Amino acid sequence: MNEPPREDLEDLYENAPCGYISLQPDGRIFKANRTFAMWSGYEPHELIGKRFHDLSNIATRIFYETHFAPLLRMQGFFNEVALDLVGKDGRTLPVLVNAAERKDSYGKLLFIRLTVFNATERRNYERELINARAEAEIVSKKLHALNATLEQRISEAVQQRLSTSVELKAAHAESELREQFIAVLGHDLRNPIAAIGAGANLLERQLLDDASANVVSLIKGSVLRASALIDNVLDFARGRLGSGISLNRTTDQSLEATLEQVVNELRAVNPGREIITDYELFRPVSLDHARIAQMVSNLLANALAYGDADVPVRLTAQTLRNAFELWVANAGPKIPDKAMERLFQPFFRGEVRESQQGLGLGLHISREIARAHGGKLMVDSSADETRFTFTMPLQNAAETQK
Amino acid sequence: MTLRELDIAVSAVIRNNVRVGGRRDKAIIFAHGFGCDQNMWRFIEPEFAADFTTVLYDHVGAGRSDLSAYDPIKYSTLHGYADDLIEIARELELKDTVFVGHSVSAMIGVMASIKMPELFSRLILVGPSPRYIDDGEYKGGFTEHHIKELLDFMASNHMGWSEAMAPTIMGNPDKPELGTELTNSFCRTDPEIAKDFARVTFTSDNRADLRKVAVPTLILQCSEDVIAPREVGEYVAREVPKSELIYLKATGHCPNLSAPAEVIAAMRSFL
Repeated sequence: MNEPPREDLEDLYENAPCGYISLQPDGRIFKANRTFAMWSGYEPHELIGKRFHDLSNIATRIFYETHFAPLLRMQGFFNEVALDLVGKDGRTLPVLVNAAERKDSYGKLLFIRLTVFNATERRNYERELINARAEAEIVSKKLHALNATLEQRISEAVQQRLSTSVELKAAHAESELREQFIAVLGHDLRNPIAAIGAGANLLERQLLDDASANVVSLIKGSVLRASALIDNVLDFARGRLGSGISLNRTTDQSLEATLEQVVNELRAVNPGREIITDYELFRPVSLDHARIAQMVSNLLANALAYGDADVPVRLTAQTLRNAFELWVANAGPKIPDKAMERLFQPFFRGEVRESQQGLGLGLHISREIARAHGGKLMVDSSADETRFTFTMPLQNAAETQK
Repeated sequence: MTLRELDIAVSAVIRNNVRVGGRRDKAIIFAHGFGCDQNMWRFIEPEFAADFTTVLYDHVGAGRSDLSAYDPIKYSTLHGYADDLIEIARELELKDTVFVGHSVSAMIGVMASIKMPELFSRLILVGPSPRYIDDGEYKGGFTEHHIKELLDFMASNHMGWSEAMAPTIMGNPDKPELGTELTNSFCRTDPEIAKDFARVTFTSDNRADLRKVAVPTLILQCSEDVIAPREVGEYVAREVPKSELIYLKATGHCPNLSAPAEVIAAMRSFL
């Protein structure tokens, strides 16, 4: 085994992989190694007599004096202190410094030893870390701001939603109140109207002169119209209130008789107008007779009001193979396209003379009745004729017999 | 608010980590400068404990002060620090004290003595500077650019400094009084607060205050002090009406650590 090589202490000092500086108590350099001289760009002899401060930038000078000199005095050493030194050419030399005081046996400070490590790369790395942290802080602040904005927006949206919902509720409450009002009003109107109708019927049976008979007929006509209006209003209110139109379907009543009664009522109050009826009812039809009467009454009243007075209004009811069909037709002007769109909407009224003005609920209620029967109410209007057709599917015989 | 929080909020003694030694009629207050804490006075204060009530404290943000009491607005001028000093003196019911201020605390004492003259009988200013930045004829020793460089350095060098602020703990047979705990906290400062304190220290201008100092004042000027050069000490001596200037042989900015015997002798001759 070979002898280990002997270390050359002089060479170790001068060319060590770190810088050595020795300072007098007053901070002047009295010895420095070649490594440090090389790093700082000075010749070794140029460093002698310089103060450590002469090799420092201002920041390091201040910090050294205010922080590390006291620390060194208090502890007798410091380790890993980051300092910026300045080379002969003015370039910054970032270093890490360890320091230790050398004292005599009485504790008196003899000199200070500094070991200097070149820390250029390490400090660059630290600076990058610091920059990264600063950037992360910026991003985090932005994110925070964004979150705050989002929260703000959400709370605004919620606020808006809440107020909208409050408004909606208010509107609902209002319309509910209005519809209840209409329903109550309709109900309370029915009784006096029924009384007037009954009175007119009683009078009709008396022997009357022509003028009085005419008045009674007019009264009955008005009662009919008023009843129809009230029925429509009540149905509309019911539909809106959610109970909808309920049916009482029967097959054991004569549909023809029901329809004829409606026609006769309208004939009575529209003297001089002709209504031609055609019934081809060969199979039983399951209907709510009162409702169908209401629908036909509405359709006929419309036909009489809007139709050409010189041309008869026609009512046809027939059972087909799988369906029941009923239509009311009148001659007269075509219903304008614009009006067609809104014909079945509530409170829609066409152009008609003042005395015939209704509420605009007739067609709406009629269509609802058609729907309740599982059928539909359609309109066709041309220059020659306007026709409202109600069709509903017919249940087969077996089912009907049940 | 708990009782303890309440205490901290109202008590300057707790907030500023005040330590009272000696129990004599006359009090002497020691205030540390930028960089360290009350341990700066470790070699000086015991010498006076026999004749004075000695008061040591940390500025808020330094040493073991209550960091939560740090208010960046209050401490954006030296007035905040001067008010703390007055509060401490009042809470301890001190009057006619001797105030010893190192570095920036010299000016804090000057300001407090102007605000509340009855609290102070004498000022001892160690390495004072009323303004660090040159201004025309006046030479403070630094340019604005220098100070900006310092602040930038502190801002960009958090990591290096904060590592350095917590040096490895080792046995310290030379000074057994300097325990492990102390080694850890000495010179350790929150980097943000340190930066604020550096800014307020190095950008203040208290030249106009010097003339208003009414009490006898001793100025201790070091040799080769890069922070407070000789001309600045002489300027302070010229401006303060009842002042006395003593040049110390000690070099550097902290004679209270590097040459305590010389400082003690100068102080005794003045007192």
